[in-house]
Amino acid sequence: MPAPLDGIHVLDLSWVMVGPVSGRYLADLGADVIKVESSRRIDPVRTLGPFKDGKSAPERSVSYHNLNAGKRCIALDIRKPEGRELVMRLAQWADVAIESFTPGVLDELRLGYRELSTRNPRLIMASTAILGQTGPDAKGTSGVGTMGAAMSGATHQFGWPDRPPCGPFGPWTDGVAPRFIVASILAALHRRTRTGEGCYIDVAQAEAGVQFMMPAFYEFAANGKIPERRGVAGSPLRVPEGVYRCAGDDRWVAISASDSAHWGALRNIIGRALRDVRFDTVLGRFRTRGAIDTAISEWTLEKESDAVEATLQSVGIPAHIVSRGLDLNRDTDLVHIGHFKKFTDAVLGDAEIEGPRSGFDRTPLPDTRRGPRIGEHTNEILETVCHLSKDEIAKLAQAGVLA
Amino acid sequence: MLSDIRVLEISAPETMQAGSVLAALGADVVVVEPLTGAPGRRMEPFLDEIPGIERSLTWHAMNRNKRAITLDMHSADSRELLAGLLAKFDIAFDAASNGLAPLDDFTLPEKLVRIRIAPFGPDGPKGGYASSDLTVMAASGAPGVTGDPDRAPLFFPVPQSMMEAGSDAAIAALAGLAARDCDGRGQSGRVSARISAMMSAMSQHLAPPAGNSEIKRSSGTFAIAGVQVPGMYECADGFVMISVAFGPVFGQMTNRLAKWAADENHLARNVAEISWPSFISDLQQKKVSSADLHALVEGLKSLTRNKTKAAFGAGARKLGLLASPVFSMKDVAESSQYRERGLFTRVSVAQGRAIDVPSRFAQFSNFAIESRRPAPILSEHTVEILENDLGLSRIEIQALFVHGVI
Repeated sequence: MPAPLDGIHVLDLSWVMVGPVSGRYLADLGADVIKVESSRRIDPVRTLGPFKDGKSAPERSVSYHNLNAGKRCIALDIRKPEGRELVMRLAQWADVAIESFTPGVLDELRLGYRELSTRNPRLIMASTAILGQTGPDAKGTSGVGTMGAAMSGATHQFGWPDRPPCGPFGPWTDGVAPRFIVASILAALHRRTRTGEGCYIDVAQAEAGVQFMMPAFYEFAANGKIPERRGVAGSPLRVPEGVYRCAGDDRWVAISASDSAHWGALRNIIGRALRDVRFDTVLGRFRTRGAIDTAISEWTLEKESDAVEATLQSVGIPAHIVSRGLDLNRDTDLVHIGHFKKFTDAVLGDAEIEGPRSGFDRTPLPDTRRGPRIGEHTNEILETVCHLSKDEIAKLAQAGVLA
Repeated sequence: MLSDIRVLEISAPETMQAGSVLAALGADVVVVEPLTGAPGRRMEPFLDEIPGIERSLTWHAMNRNKRAITLDMHSADSRELLAGLLAKFDIAFDAASNGLAPLDDFTLPEKLVRIRIAPFGPDGPKGGYASSDLTVMAASGAPGVTGDPDRAPLFFPVPQSMMEAGSDAAIAALAGLAARDCDGRGQSGRVSARISAMMSAMSQHLAPPAGNSEIKRSSGTFAIAGVQVPGMYECADGFVMISVAFGPVFGQMTNRLAKWAADENHLARNVAEISWPSFISDLQQKKVSSADLHALVEGLKSLTRNKTKAAFGAGARKLGLLASPVFSMKDVAESSQYRERGLFTRVSVAQGRAIDVPSRFAQFSNFAIESRRPAPILSEHTVEILENDLGLSRIEIQALFVHGVI
């Protein structure tokens, strides 16, 4: 049975993270994704770690492979007229195009939606700029997901009240925006089956970030209250809920035990320290949060975090260690699902990247392959997609177009 | 976009974003709630800080453009009604709790695309885990590398695993729809909230198996040669973020940043003119020193202290820096960029109370995301859906109500 997007062709003109992740979603779902790159101007994510065995090189960035798994790659200098024409031919082949250029650049190259859709009116094209393509600040503005987080209202709320904001881990909106880009592309593909219409989709990373913060936006818009940094984890209306320090170096466990059944079970396990009658009621617990948190912390502090998780889960209390990298690699559930896909490669040796983020009963997803090397599939794409002869390809190579 | 598509959402925190995305894209989304209301109706914050089934701002935020019916999910009547409804819909979302999801024991119509969201792997060792948004986020790997090492790991104040999982469920549903567009057949698909939330941990968990040390928490700062380089800088009216980056690509931005600080007399010219892209290798070769980096950081602190968020943002955009103002939600609401771009639509949160919300997550050449209707009040559309979709008579609907089925 073919994968859900079997037969869908994607032209991936993007780089770094937000566009490549969007393309990877489509590749995971079975689309044929061709990444356009140039060895003269490599995808900057190739310069970012982690690198295999810590040795930096363009083909050794594990992040690159994780973001570009399952794609093919053609090396093209799109600033040369012949390179531009090849992009136009690929756009003719494509159902979907994704681009992450600074707004205005593709128009200068005459490779914007207007030009590509003239050649292929059924094309669905998505742009991923930090502030989008329109509005007073958009043109010429480029950026990454740390900036998107800052301008989405997320960073402001992420940290401790008595300290500067910390901001979420890494370029957060680079991971958020692809969800809206891919959903928009797939909705447009569905409409195209009915109407034949193509579409241009303009997603601003920063605006996508606001979507994940929407309840906080409503708090300001409806109540006039600006949500601030809280630091403490969990809901302020639930006791106990939070993270508690365990034995070891910076080891923590998250526990949500405010519902009465969970609370009763937690009291049974911890025993005397939680027997105080003030802790019998929701209000009583709410008014004694500090004492309860102290009692739980004293209980967790001497224990290994995974032992706390196992003990609490054995009686149905929501609990999980605050995982770090090694915990995830060893996590029994992720291992059971086979989420980490191992592969052996001439450059990387043994390596692993993540698998897809969904699964289906009837239409299995393709195996996860490493990201392509720069220009790894140039010849096969020129022959089978652009229908060029070997002589024509040799001439292009000689003219420096395929680099 | 999806005007021909009908979505049935057995409402849970994790389904809300899934239904919300498809509703924004034009689908007819109906949420099914228990008689006491969906869990999302009891999620803070509340309108005017007064709780109530119709007052959850989380519910309002994540259920725009949907309709709602109530069903007692346990009675034979309800099961029959739900089975009847499933046959009328194209997509269904449900979420598992303690290993069980509401549609697990239904025979699903052949054309239905059903996406089941579970906290962990459906049949893995944690498949039966009790969970909360907090514990799933803890399992994502993101908080474990976030925050100041002297304090507890940091989480978002807004529940996030439900956002991550719901968004991936929307994608999975549309992928299932694409397959159905080819062969007319639906299927079940699955999303794990923890795997979805791992997106926010970026690729850090791939570092150890690639032979690198595990990433640890570092307050969003990093240290080079003993110099702490912050990511956040105080400005005249709040904070701005600046990524001081090195290397051939991103280091060029640091060159421009340093020149800006020097041009405005916050940094000595000779420090600004260091080749920042090659700073790390130059440091190893002792061509530059940690004092230069320290001077840059102090220069940036001085530069930002004298600027408002708006002035800094304008300068950073002009120079193409990895830097921006840190917006509060008030700044988001007032941003001329977002306003003029058309991010906002107006929606009601109570009678006579309309607010502008940033609902247009994408701008399309031939479609617009609109606020067609506010989040539904409890059971608002039960009668019309039972009448129109299942052909029940008014008297039958009254009988169901009398018996507590709806």
